[in-house]
Amino acid sequence: MHFSEDDLRAALKRKDPGEGFTQRVMARVEQARAEGKTKPVNGKSKNNGTFFAWWTLRPAWTFAVVALLLLGFAWGGYQYSEYRHREEIRQMAEKQRQMEEKQRQLQAEAEKAKEQAILALQIARSKLNHVLQQAQVPTGMERIRRQRL
Amino acid sequence: MNRVTRIAIRILMGLALCCACMRGYCQDAKLQLDNLNKLSDKAARVTDVTLDGSLLQFAIGLIEKTDDGDEDIAQLKSIVKNLKGIYVKSFEFDEASQYSKADVESVRSQITARWTKIVQSIDKRNNEHDEIYVLKSGEHVAGVLILVAEPRELTVVNIVGDVPVEKIAALEHHFVPNEKESGKKQKKEKSHDED
Repeated sequence: MHFSEDDLRAALKRKDPGEGFTQRVMARVEQARAEGKTKPVNGKSKNNGTFFAWWTLRPAWTFAVVALLLLGFAWGGYQYSEYRHREEIRQMAEKQRQMEEKQRQLQAEAEKAKEQAILALQIARSKLNHVLQQAQVPTGMERIRRQRL
Repeated sequence: MNRVTRIAIRILMGLALCCACMRGYCQDAKLQLDNLNKLSDKAARVTDVTLDGSLLQFAIGLIEKTDDGDEDIAQLKSIVKNLKGIYVKSFEFDEASQYSKADVESVRSQITARWTKIVQSIDKRNNEHDEIYVLKSGEHVAGVLILVAEPRELTVVNIVGDVPVEKIAALEHHFVPNEKESGKKQKKEKSHDED
């Protein structure tokens, strides 16, 4: 097919839209806006309507579900408080055990220190008497013995 | 500066001086025996006791809690109650001359003029050198050093505090409370058996 220059000029020639063009366009715009507003609202109301319709139609089920949820929450809360209580008791027992362990360690250290002190005094006594004997000085025991005699 | 302030400053300075003197005495009474630690490798038997501060207080507390009925335990309590530190280093060697004179000298060099040598025994035949030093603080004893240097044994005992030397020397050989208790038990058992 071949278009001549005249054909193109005729096709692209300015035409008068006629009277009331602006009104028609504005009316279309208004219509499109109104349709845009109502369409999604219609869709939503349809869904919500289905959901709400369920609980309005079956209130017993709704109450049962709510009651179950409340029971669940109450049971969960009770369990949590029990867990916290058990945890507190466990922590207290652990602290008590640690304190007892520390006390035992201190006691063992004290026992060891006491044994060491006694050992040190034994060595001191033995060496003191040895030196005094070597130096021909009467030792404490000998002195006591002499005093008794 | 008024008169009251001057008096207060003098009192404080006097107290500080007293504290410094007391601290000086305590530090003098405690000797450094760590340089003898090197002998541990050569020694066949090592006895190392270091008791001071809270550990000694624990020990004293336990000894004081022990049953008071026994005369020796009462004596033990009277010995330990004023002690501030007990340091013992004893080395027994299998062979003679395992330690040098320098080792002994390292301890002896710490003896200041305040220490008094109360006993010295030199046995050249057996190559034995024993000494007892006492550090006096007024009427009280602030520390004791017992140095026993035998060919196969070196023992240094350093006791800090008010040490009743006579009481230590007069202690019974078997004064360890546990041993005494076990001995008593054995005696009781024997008497039961006889009955």
